[in-house]
Amino acid sequence: MLDLDGIHKTYNRKKVLEDVSFHVPEGAIVGLLGPNGAGKTTLIRIINRIIEQDRGFVSFKNKMMTEEHLKEIGYLPEERGLYRTMKVQEHAIYLGRLRGMSKRDALQQFNYWIERFDIGDWRNKRIEELSKGMGQKVQFICTVLHQPDFLILDEPFSGFDPINVELIRAELLEMKAKGKTILLSTHNMKSVEEICDRAILIHEGKKVLEGEVWGLRDAHKEGLFAVKFSGNMIAFANALWAGYEIDSKEVHNDNLFTVNLRMRGENNFNDLLGTLIQAVNIVSANEVLPSMEEVFMKNVTTPRKEVDHV
Amino acid sequence: MFKFWLVAQREIRERVKSRSFLLMALIGPVVLLALLYALFSIAGSEKQHWNVLVMDKNEIFSNRIAPKEDPRFSFTFINEFAEYDDFAELELFSNYDMMVVINEKIVSNKWVIVGYRERPSEQLKRRLIHFVERRMEEIMVAEFTDLSVAKFREIKQPLNFSFKNVSDPKNEEDHKASWVGYTFGIGIMLFVFLFGMTILRSVSREKTNRIVEVLLASVSPRQLLGGKVCGIGITALIQFVLWVVLVAVGLYIFRQTFFPDLLNPEIIAEQFSVEAGQVLKDELVVTARIYNEFVELVYRDIHYVNMLLFFALFFIGAYLFYGAFFAMIGAAMGSESDGQQYIIPISLLLMISVFSGYYVIHYPQTGLTEFLGFLPFTSPVVMMIQLSNGFESGESWQLFLSLFILFISSGFVFVAAGKIYKNGILQFGHRLRLSQLLNWLKKS
Repeated sequence: MLDLDGIHKTYNRKKVLEDVSFHVPEGAIVGLLGPNGAGKTTLIRIINRIIEQDRGFVSFKNKMMTEEHLKEIGYLPEERGLYRTMKVQEHAIYLGRLRGMSKRDALQQFNYWIERFDIGDWRNKRIEELSKGMGQKVQFICTVLHQPDFLILDEPFSGFDPINVELIRAELLEMKAKGKTILLSTHNMKSVEEICDRAILIHEGKKVLEGEVWGLRDAHKEGLFAVKFSGNMIAFANALWAGYEIDSKEVHNDNLFTVNLRMRGENNFNDLLGTLIQAVNIVSANEVLPSMEEVFMKNVTTPRKEVDHV
Repeated sequence: MFKFWLVAQREIRERVKSRSFLLMALIGPVVLLALLYALFSIAGSEKQHWNVLVMDKNEIFSNRIAPKEDPRFSFTFINEFAEYDDFAELELFSNYDMMVVINEKIVSNKWVIVGYRERPSEQLKRRLIHFVERRMEEIMVAEFTDLSVAKFREIKQPLNFSFKNVSDPKNEEDHKASWVGYTFGIGIMLFVFLFGMTILRSVSREKTNRIVEVLLASVSPRQLLGGKVCGIGITALIQFVLWVVLVAVGLYIFRQTFFPDLLNPEIIAEQFSVEAGQVLKDELVVTARIYNEFVELVYRDIHYVNMLLFFALFFIGAYLFYGAFFAMIGAAMGSESDGQQYIIPISLLLMISVFSGYYVIHYPQTGLTEFLGFLPFTSPVVMMIQLSNGFESGESWQLFLSLFILFISSGFVFVAAGKIYKNGILQFGHRLRLSQLLNWLKKS
C-alpha cells in the first residue's frame, strides 16, 4: 500500500530523518513507534505531503505519491483542532468536501457515522459546546468520512475514556476487516500489541526496527519461562535443582506462586514440565515474551544498532 | 481551484454570519450618517449683511441695481475698476465684503465677475445673480428693444457669473476636491487595516488550534492562504457595498425628509409653473435652506461612479498588498504576543500612507508627490486624491500605471507570503526573528 524509500529531512542543519525506508502492506494495521522527537510526526507530514522530504521517495499503491492520492488518505493528527464556532455537521461536511467528496456524499456518510456513534443530537452543536472527548469523536468522524483506503492516526486513543477507547479500537479492527490499511502512531504499547500486525520503531530519525509485532517480541525474548503453580515453594525449588535458574517470583497466597525462570545447559520446556509435574500442581506454564514496551525501551535506551528486520 | 473556493466560502460564511460583521455593517454607516446629519444641520455661518461694491466704470447700471431694498445687501457704486489684490488689501476697500465688476462690454460678452472675501452661501449668490440679471434686463429692454421686460426675459441669454475669492482668485488654496479623495483613501486604509487584522487573527487561530495540519493534508498552503485572503477580501467588499448602499439610502432620505431644501434652489423653482410668476420663484429660492460647502461637497462635487470604481480597484490592490504582510506575520509567529510586535511596522506603513495623503494635498505638484503616487505602500491614498482633483488630459495613464504597479507588487508580496506561510505555519513556540523570515523566503 505505502512504501517509503530513503527519506531524508533536515531542519536548520539538524537531521530529523535519515534514510528511512519501510513498507506498509495492504490491509494491515502498522504501529509507528518512537520516543518524542524521534521524527514520527515529520514522517507522517511527509506522507501527507504537508511538508516535502529533502531526499527519498514515497509511493502509494505502487505509484509515486501525488496530490491526487490524498483523497484516499485519512489523517488524524496528534494535535487536533477544529473550528470552534462551526457546527458539527457543517464542519464534517467542509472537511469531507476538501477531501474531494460531494456535499451529498459527505452528508450521507456523516449521517452514517453519527448514527453509528449514537450522537445524532450533536449535529447542530457548535464545536465549542463539546467536551474534549466529544471533539475527539467528531475528529475521528472527519478523518474517516471520505472512506479512505489508508488511515494515518497519530495517537488516536488520547483524550478518550476507556469506553470510547474500546469503541475506537473496535472501529479500527472493523476497518481492517474491510481491507483498510492503518498506520498508527502511538505511545500506547498495549494497543500496539493488541491491534497492530506490524510495527516500525524510529529513533533519532532512523528506523531501528521493523517487522510483525509477534516476531519483534519473539526476537527479543530472553529465554524466560513463567510457571504458575500451587504447592510448596521449597518443593518447587528442590525439584529444579541445578538445571534451572529462578529469575523472580510472585506470591499470590500461601499456596499459589508464579515463578519466572531460565533454563541451564541443554534443558528445554518439556524437561522443565517433566521435572515440576512431580513436585507441584502446575496451573499454567509458558515462555515469557517481552512486551512491546520492553522491546521499545530496550531499543531506545541502548546504543543504536543496525536495523533489525524480523 | 475548487478547494481554493471552498476555503474562501468558509471564510465568507463565518464572517458574514458573525455578529461583529452585522454590527460593523450597521454601526459604520449609521455613525457616518449621524456625522453627516450633524454637519448638514449646521447651517452656513453666513454673514447677515453684505456690503457690495459695484465697479461700473461706464456707469451702465446708473447706480441702481436692486428693484427693492434687501436687508442683506448694501450696494455702493464706483466708476472705476480694482484688481483682486487691491480689493483684498487696500484700506479703501476694507469695508466691502464683495465686489461686482460690470465691465464695459457686458452687453456683448455677458461676463460678470464677483470677488468675495468670505465665500457667500449659494442662496446669497443666487440673490445677487438675480439682482444683476434683472437690472441688466431693464437696461437691455430700455436701450435695445421695444419688448416688455417679461417678453425679453423669454428670449434673452443669461449672464455668465464668475465668483472668485479675492485672496485666491486662481483657486490654488481650495483643497476641497483633494479632501474628498483623501477621505476615500483613508477609507481604503481603514478597511485594509480592519480586514488585514482579520487575516492575521484567522491565520494565527488556525495555527494555534492546529486545525491547519488537517487542512494542509487536503489543501496546498498556497490554496489555503489564497482562499483565506480571497474570502476575507470578499467579506470586506460585501461590507463596503453595504456601507455604500446604506449611506446612499441615508443621504437620499436626508434629502427627501430632514433636509428637503438641500435641493438645488433652481430645481425647486423650476418645479413651479412659469405662471406662478418670477416673484414666487424668487421667494422659493430665497426660502431654500442656506446650504454650506459641505453639503455641496456631498451632493454635488463627488463623482461617485468614478470614485467608487477606483476605490474598489485600489482597495483590492491595497488589501492584497497589505493583507499578504498580515498573513505572513500570522503564519510566522510562534505565539500571539510574539506576532503583536510585528504588527507595529505594518501599522506604521499604513500611517505613513495616510500622512503621505496629507502631504499630497498641500504639495500636489512636487516630484515626491508623483513618486508617492506610484509607490504601492502609498499609492491607494495618493491616487484617490489625484483622481478627485482630476487628471489633466493625457495624464490619466498615471492612474493606470499606479494600479498596475500596485497589483504587480501585490503579486510579488503574495508569492513571498506564500513561502513564509508554507514554511512557518507548522512551526510552533519559536521566537520570530527576521533572519528566520529571510531563511523561509529563500526556501522553495
